[in-house]
Amino acid sequence: MTIAAAERMLSVTLRVARFTPKPERPGRRRGGSPFGSKSPFGGDGSESRSNRVRGKRWSQDYTVLAHADDSVLDCLLAVKRDQDPSLAFRYSCGHGMCGSDAVAINGTPTLLCTAKVRDWARPDSPEYANEDGFRPTGEPLDSSEHAIDLDALAPDTPLVIELAALPGFPTRRDLIADIDPMLDQIRRLKPYLEAKNELKTTAEGKVNVFEYLQHPDELARYELLSNCIACGVCEGSCPVYAGGEAFVGPAAMIMSSRFLNDSRDAAFQARLTALMGPDGSAACQSVRACSMHCPKGIDVGEELWQTIQKVDAAKAQLQ
Amino acid sequence: MSPKQLETHYDAVIVGAGAAGLSAALGLLRSEAYEAMRAEGREPDILVVSKLQPLRSHTGSAEGGIAASLGNIEHDDWHWHLYDTIKGGDWLVDQDMAAILAEEAPRTVIGLEHDGVAFSRNEDGTIAQRLFGGHTARFGEQPVHRTAYAADRIGHQILHSLWQQCVKERVRFAEEWYVSDLVVTRGDSGAAKVRGLVVLDTHSGKVHGIHADNVVLATGGAGRLFHTTSNSWDLTGDGMALALEAGLQLEDIEFVQFHPTGLAHTGILLSEAARGEGGRLLNADGEHFMDRYAPGHGDLAARDVVSRSIMAEVDAGRGVADPKDPDGPKDCVWLDLRALGRDTLKSKLPEVYETVRQYAGLDPAEDLVPIKPTAHYTMGGIPIGADGNVYEFSDGARHGVDGLFAAGECSCVSVHGANRLGANSLLDACLFGTRTGRSLAARIAESRDVDEDAYQTVDEAATRREHAIKALLAGAPQDAADTGDADAGADNAYRLMADLGALMERAAAVRCSHDTLTEAQAAIERDLLPRAERLTAHSDTAAFNQEVTAIMEVRHLLVVAQTMLSAADARHESRGALFRTDYPSRDDGRFLAHSMVGKSQEVLWQPVTITDYPPKARAY
Repeated sequence: MTIAAAERMLSVTLRVARFTPKPERPGRRRGGSPFGSKSPFGGDGSESRSNRVRGKRWSQDYTVLAHADDSVLDCLLAVKRDQDPSLAFRYSCGHGMCGSDAVAINGTPTLLCTAKVRDWARPDSPEYANEDGFRPTGEPLDSSEHAIDLDALAPDTPLVIELAALPGFPTRRDLIADIDPMLDQIRRLKPYLEAKNELKTTAEGKVNVFEYLQHPDELARYELLSNCIACGVCEGSCPVYAGGEAFVGPAAMIMSSRFLNDSRDAAFQARLTALMGPDGSAACQSVRACSMHCPKGIDVGEELWQTIQKVDAAKAQLQ
Repeated sequence: MSPKQLETHYDAVIVGAGAAGLSAALGLLRSEAYEAMRAEGREPDILVVSKLQPLRSHTGSAEGGIAASLGNIEHDDWHWHLYDTIKGGDWLVDQDMAAILAEEAPRTVIGLEHDGVAFSRNEDGTIAQRLFGGHTARFGEQPVHRTAYAADRIGHQILHSLWQQCVKERVRFAEEWYVSDLVVTRGDSGAAKVRGLVVLDTHSGKVHGIHADNVVLATGGAGRLFHTTSNSWDLTGDGMALALEAGLQLEDIEFVQFHPTGLAHTGILLSEAARGEGGRLLNADGEHFMDRYAPGHGDLAARDVVSRSIMAEVDAGRGVADPKDPDGPKDCVWLDLRALGRDTLKSKLPEVYETVRQYAGLDPAEDLVPIKPTAHYTMGGIPIGADGNVYEFSDGARHGVDGLFAAGECSCVSVHGANRLGANSLLDACLFGTRTGRSLAARIAESRDVDEDAYQTVDEAATRREHAIKALLAGAPQDAADTGDADAGADNAYRLMADLGALMERAAAVRCSHDTLTEAQAAIERDLLPRAERLTAHSDTAAFNQEVTAIMEVRHLLVVAQTMLSAADARHESRGALFRTDYPSRDDGRFLAHSMVGKSQEVLWQPVTITDYPPKARAY
């Protein structure tokens, strides 16, 4: 982390890990015989699990003059307008609600639109390293202990922000990652209310068409979890998930936890059972990196721990 | 998620996956007609196409709430909601449609709760409701708690719950597909019929023609017409432009709601609650100017009144510059929240407090906050009837477009009139979206025979679009080769979009006149349209080529801008959100009518439907 006076203008180099996919050769991947290419082990071997796309990879520098308080997204939009319209990155609402723009900034998964230049720009020089000789890449935002004061640097010190696609997912182009695996995992855990259908009854005892009742305290048990925007920051931060081990992932588990804690939901046992597989709660190693940059302030690691305990208790009862 | 393989034919394609599109999908799949078809072993082919992954839709940014006369706090009546909606719309509301909106609102909100929306709650467990500007009891007598909410995240809650229910119902999505053409053919009598769509799969860069008997446009608004907007970058008026390009009309497109308190040049909304809690607007001289414009109401006057007052101060030279850009234009005024104190700001206005700190780098407890009206909602759009069916207006009558439907902000069922009441937009999208879904199901159940030859026009349109996109890609500079036309190489869709936003802001934001409108129209014809024609991509790789999409988006914006300017110029009065400095009063004698304008820019007038509430002066 770095700090700087809010009103400063900074000249910053955005160092973008770029990738352009090779055009698909017609007739190769699709349109062949639906039977011929099938391997007996299910699926087409050539399109293997890694799902790696071929193409050209390179690093490209863009220098922009930015306000210390600008977001990194503002800088990239200026690059698109003024320097390179071909640079690809997802963005939509621009204020941390839509969840489109999760990328790795200086190696740390976070949202482009909530990341400020002054928090992420750092001196671009080989001398810059901490006491152990490592370049600090993953300092949490709230740790100002090791913060570098940009105002204290020599005025012409070059500054850089490194950008790459969200880790843990296949890169499709430049900063665009394929997050379908996350959405598939969310879908697998039935992310929808399975209501108990307890409707309010009238004085005469008749069922009436009213809302399911829920006390504010009951709402409070899952309200924060329901704010998840499925941006994938926690997934990219998780060494188990992004490391390629089989794990349904923190985002899918948060979605499941949201319904586990909803007093209206009737599928409590089924949801726990769904998390009992080897890629479920058992795969979480409680590293808690997932909590560091959640844009909605969910303590993902702690929530997962709570759910793991529920799953373990349910398992114990089964035995 | 995208379909592995396209079907040769779809019974219905829904374009857009926000509140309206997802409601239409659910309305269809949960209808009796659909159940009956399933029971007979018939499985209609339905596809939802959206240019974003559905959870990214702009519905997710809605903050305030959704209005319904549930009466959970005090007694309420849907007739009062109806009256407030009509008055809010400055009597340009079709009253029969607004009656549907108000009467079916409670059912709609309960339905959303059953779908999982985490509404804020009362102690007795019922859905909590809050006060909202313009919502009253007993026909304007006193404010009423009518707006159901989920803290300040109602849109997020509704979007996610609807998507979750679509997962349950196994709705098929084609995500990050961009619709480039709507294919409508005309019979010998001139009657229009939808045949399908041309779409660009942005992942592969491939163009597909989709044969469809029914199409729903649910693509959202066009806030990106203006530089300062609360809308996401994707609100480029696509559905409206598709309708125009297909030879159809837009209704009341001159009415755009500007929210008075956008955070300076970001356009991000600072909730109305900021003024409700005691925030005051100050001009460059430190004067509390709203007392001068709206005595008795001050800072809490109606949205359009406050927006106009701010612009009048700016026009009179009493604006201030955004502190972030001290040498820039003095087109903001101050929002003074200092008197509230840090504790009140944190407890009562947490989102406002955080937004100002995060996006302006200012401390609202100590600093003045620069604000500026921000383009928020397009009241007008593709004209539809009560069941979502799109129609054309000619010779004084409505003529339905066979198989074409629309819902949500891109449509105009005319419940918002000249100015939308707060908390009515999610209601419109969910309620009329669901109705549209149901009427789709009934239509699908009726029609069985598919004549494949009828879709030839779709394939032809797809081939044309494929060539056009190839040409855009071929225009990209080669690695080693000289780019040739230096001028075309220097321009790009993003810059053009920014220039259009600046132009529209000068000409039509909050206030306009014949002179500003015609000047903007001329600038578009003289400068922006030729630039749009010359645009090419800067990379020849088709996969995930965002610039190709942006070129089509800016062309869409230009088409919508032209009709908006034409409609505004034709309306020689001021009503609701449209303020003409050259015609400052409302003129019911001539303009108690909806503007209907197509790509030819010819403006026709369709009378407003008035049932119970004759027009009165709109005073707040």
